[in-house]
Amino acid sequence: MSSQTHLEQTQLDIGIVALTDCAPLVMAKHLGYFEQWGLDVSLHVQYSWATVRDRLNAGLLDAAQVLAPMPIASSLGLNGPKCDVINAFNLSMNGNGVTLSTALMDKVRELNNGITPPLPLEAKWLKRVIDQSGEVLKIASVYPYSCHFYQLRDWLISGDITPNKDVELIIIPPTSMTTALQNNDIDGFCVGTPWNAQAVRGGIGETVTTSSDIWQEAPEKVLAVTKEWQETNPNTYLALLAAVQQACEWLESVANRFETAIILQQYLDAPVDVIAPSLIGSCITAKGAPPRDIPGYNQFFRSNTNQPIVEQGMFLIEKMKGAGQLGDWTDTQLNEVVNNVYRNDLYESMLALRNS
Amino acid sequence: MATKNKTTNTLTVLVIDDDMERAESFRAALAGSPYVVKHLAHTSASLLREVENTEPDIILIDIESPNRDTIESLSTISEFNPKPIVMFSEKDQPDLMRDSIKAGVSAYVSGETNPDRAKFILDVAVARFNEFQGLKAELTDAKRKLQSRKWVDQAKALLIEKQGMSEQQAYSAIRKMAMDNGQKMEDVAKNLISMMQLIGGGK
Repeated sequence: MSSQTHLEQTQLDIGIVALTDCAPLVMAKHLGYFEQWGLDVSLHVQYSWATVRDRLNAGLLDAAQVLAPMPIASSLGLNGPKCDVINAFNLSMNGNGVTLSTALMDKVRELNNGITPPLPLEAKWLKRVIDQSGEVLKIASVYPYSCHFYQLRDWLISGDITPNKDVELIIIPPTSMTTALQNNDIDGFCVGTPWNAQAVRGGIGETVTTSSDIWQEAPEKVLAVTKEWQETNPNTYLALLAAVQQACEWLESVANRFETAIILQQYLDAPVDVIAPSLIGSCITAKGAPPRDIPGYNQFFRSNTNQPIVEQGMFLIEKMKGAGQLGDWTDTQLNEVVNNVYRNDLYESMLALRNS
Repeated sequence: MATKNKTTNTLTVLVIDDDMERAESFRAALAGSPYVVKHLAHTSASLLREVENTEPDIILIDIESPNRDTIESLSTISEFNPKPIVMFSEKDQPDLMRDSIKAGVSAYVSGETNPDRAKFILDVAVARFNEFQGLKAELTDAKRKLQSRKWVDQAKALLIEKQGMSEQQAYSAIRKMAMDNGQKMEDVAKNLISMMQLIGGGK
């Protein structure tokens, strides 16, 4: 099973963030897959994407779970010094949800004879609330270069809402979302699992739509390393990918998902009843209401989840443009950067190594 | 927000840190300098408003703070446009960036701030944060040792009282158990205490 080739480095420090989609890295460690591939991995929970980026770029982390747009943002030098970061492995697809405060949903119900409109909620309901009350809603997401941010924008725009005019978009860390909602600092948020479920269990919000409803099959977190690190440690890198690939395959079974929920508790500092639902494809929506069936809510393997594809990067580029985040780049330049980030060749090398 | 009516000598430094002592120590280090240090113990949602009201030239924030992402959004979704300090240092000071990350401090600088002054502030911050990390480690270590001694003393007292051992015998018994089981004396002591509390001890 283990690689015959020489590993340049065996002790690795990998950054993870307290979200359900750190599961492939956590389980690769717990199941001993890293060990099987000759790697001694320490996982380090990070508290902000900014810090993940800084530590990865400065070489204080060897690899990290990052938001899919982050390697592109780093390679373009947005919000920090330019650093070539590559992605040869998607850790997960989907996983985000939009949760609105109960007070806001009560206003929506007032416009619909006291009944919750069908879910996924169409954003036009928010538009009606905005038009009627004249107030500017405040909705949070987690990072400027995140799928959450773009999905939230797309959802609002689909309801004829103009972001930053009808709705103020702000950035709040995932673990503070529920508190902010409870304190009426915000009217809603778009965040990754399990933090929507936490708000619903706490009875302070209702999850009205998910990333699976807004986009289909979108890579959410990726395993990032700097180009420099990969070039210095080519064999170690493939061994790392192989171990994580094995964990993603293991995560395919529902029985294994339960075990994952139990193990994730210590990393996420959240109870099983908050972590487990999304892992088994259930989106809990509101206290006392039936959950929604979202089979790919946390997708780690099926439908070719892990393969990094250049088109996925170009899709994100379009979203970044739409959000006004890209300045004077020519399409040729952007195309070149995305082609340098998405390393399907290395993904294929890992598959070849596993089959050898 | 773009123009400021400040004398060129004064710079406002905003420290966002839950650790009051560390923030105070940083403030003290800059006492008498032309830098005005303001401290904010952070709360997520009101953070942006408070930062905008302060209009800092430099922001220092604990690298472990989740609110770094909120601060980063200032440059994309707000008129106020602080950049990570690493923007300045990417060419000439890669070590400063690494040092600051290691010390646990991250910094943002508004566009108009002179890089040399920003570097000075960051140097002071790195020194203070490092010193604090050292102090904290020492303190934790001392506390742990003290606590560990307390457990052993308590277990010894119980053995003396309930088993009629001498102090030396009690100490040797705990040490032997620790060596036989490959455990720390502290852990053996804890086990002994809970066990004797459970069964009530007695000769």
